[in-house]
Amino acid sequence: MPLNPLNLVSLGSINEDGSKKTLHPADVSGKFTRGRRLVALVLLITYVALPWIPVNGFPAVFLDVLNRRFHFMGLTLAVQDLWVGFFLVTGLGFSLFYVTALFGRVWCGWTCPYTVFLEHIYRRIERLVDGDAAARRKLDAAPWTAGKITRRVTKHGLYILSSLIIAHIFLSYFVSLEKLYEMMHHSPQAHAIAFGVVMFLTAGLYGAFSWFREQFCVIMCPYGRMQSALVDDHTINVGYDKKRGEPRGKAGTVGAGDCVNCLRCVQVCPTGIDIRNGLQLECIGCAACVDACNTIMTKLGRKPGLVRYASLTSFEGGKTRFIRPRTILYTGLLFLGVAVFAFSASRIEPMRANVLRMQGSPYYVTNHIVRNQFLVRLINKRNEPRSFRLALEGELPAGLAAAGADAPITIAAQGEELKPLMITLPEAAFKAPFKLSISITDTKDGKTYRTKPFEFTGPDATLKSNDYLDPGQYLQK
Amino acid sequence: MDPKKPSPNNEPQLRDHIYDGIQEYDQKLPNWWLFTLYIAIAWFVVHWLCYYQLGLGSSDTVVIDKAMAEMQTARDKQMETISDEQLWALSRDPAAVEAGKATFMTPGMCVTCHGPDLSGMLSGAKLPGLPLNDQEWKHGGKPTEIFKIVRKGSPDITKGMAAWELVLGMKRVSEVVAFVLSHHKEGEPITRAADSPGAAPAAATTAAPAAVTPPPAAK
Repeated sequence: MPLNPLNLVSLGSINEDGSKKTLHPADVSGKFTRGRRLVALVLLITYVALPWIPVNGFPAVFLDVLNRRFHFMGLTLAVQDLWVGFFLVTGLGFSLFYVTALFGRVWCGWTCPYTVFLEHIYRRIERLVDGDAAARRKLDAAPWTAGKITRRVTKHGLYILSSLIIAHIFLSYFVSLEKLYEMMHHSPQAHAIAFGVVMFLTAGLYGAFSWFREQFCVIMCPYGRMQSALVDDHTINVGYDKKRGEPRGKAGTVGAGDCVNCLRCVQVCPTGIDIRNGLQLECIGCAACVDACNTIMTKLGRKPGLVRYASLTSFEGGKTRFIRPRTILYTGLLFLGVAVFAFSASRIEPMRANVLRMQGSPYYVTNHIVRNQFLVRLINKRNEPRSFRLALEGELPAGLAAAGADAPITIAAQGEELKPLMITLPEAAFKAPFKLSISITDTKDGKTYRTKPFEFTGPDATLKSNDYLDPGQYLQK
Repeated sequence: MDPKKPSPNNEPQLRDHIYDGIQEYDQKLPNWWLFTLYIAIAWFVVHWLCYYQLGLGSSDTVVIDKAMAEMQTARDKQMETISDEQLWALSRDPAAVEAGKATFMTPGMCVTCHGPDLSGMLSGAKLPGLPLNDQEWKHGGKPTEIFKIVRKGSPDITKGMAAWELVLGMKRVSEVVAFVLSHHKEGEPITRAADSPGAAPAAATTAAPAAVTPPPAAK
């Protein structure tokens, strides 16, 4: 056998002495490989393009950490709105649960950024520079000649270049493209933190994709570990049809099954397992073995699908059930997450206001006028300056006046203002603390926003006389 | 299952011990994984020596305290560097006075309590603020004293004068003070108000005390 005996209890990518075994998956072609390339291409284009596509004057996805504004497809969130992100993240989490319960690790094999970068950028570079699996193995074993050194320098140079590009694109999600371009023209010291982030990312990407590779998926990835709890006998996974394949034997052997033990499925596996041992934690559902086996079966004139996407139940001869308590539950959770996110995101307003009581005393009494001092924080999330008119709202006693609410306030595009507001009431009119709120009207489109209610306080009427000190008040007659 | 029995398919040997029915295979951990443990152990030694034995690094508390102290020193220094002369000079700078006036007159700002003509009056009614256009200064009439009151607010928290530095920042505070000072002349007599902190009851003295008593509610 050309490879280590592969089994269910040892890692195919770790040698017996604990050292890492460099895997050289063989080339494979077929409909799943083509499909994955297409998906990867779309994802890579999306990754590069998002910062370039303007929606409402901002990139489609722009996490402006510096100005604490976060733009998603035209929706602008101030830092105070970020709580809706909780529902976005849980929604995504539940959709991953849902997809996993139905189709296993389809995320890992087809769409995970780690797989996309590794399979469709770094392994392509390696294939281009070092040749196919056999050539790569030979080159690994070869002595250090000038030719090998040239190849290695070329390969790792291209790896580092790719890592630099990916890291820069990542940074462009957090600073604008112009700013990124400008930073790239300055010395590293001028933007030490951004430079450090990019260098750290580059080093991480280079280390992960040139050396660490499948170890991440097999040992470190928390989603991969959670898998076992999310799949069941009806989940569609990549699997081997034991009934049809066993016993293995060369073509033409009497009584042998369809598996000719050619080991193509093992040779093409990026995580170094033998799929014929059954469902394994290393499997990322990439379907390379499906394409490999189908090619062999077609050559032999046998029906393809000896290794295929199917559930454990269907391999046993049963029927895969897609509707089962688990999928119903996950669907429910998914819709719940999406609905709550959609609801909360639709409630995000393009302006935000809150009221803070000013430092000092809660109220002041001067010349028989009770005064409460507030600071109103106004945030304009629009991409253009807007004017707002402030007014008091609620069940207001007569004589209540607000100084500072008379003239409209203009707030710059994406701007923030702290506006003092003095609310006064004649002492005689003050009976008890009451709630009020401030309405903010956009002078351009007439839309009105409201702050949370806050309290107007003043001197407690019962404390204004000294009667309460008289014990006679409290004695029963 | 017999623990000594080698597993099929050339699988690794099972170890002898059984705990709660759980057995383990005799296999090496991935070296890279072990190295993360070794690095953590080495890091522990370095950390323990530096922080607990040799006192080389400082704890987060010490770092924060130091940074806070530095900020305080910088603030005090900034305060010291602004002198009466500089504020007087600023009050003769039309650009600064104009900027200060804009801030002062913004609805909700100074004008609310001190009045548009700085008199503390509005159409015959007394406003909460003290007049700023006369020569009586409750908390001292030196430019730096006015500056301090605008920055830090009234030492008497039952009065409404807030600490405007938090809202306006130092630059706009200095402009507002320049605007107020533009209604005054350097060297004009300064009187303390009857209820000035630390002042004699009938404080109609023309000689302004240089030092203002430290506000009791400074912290």
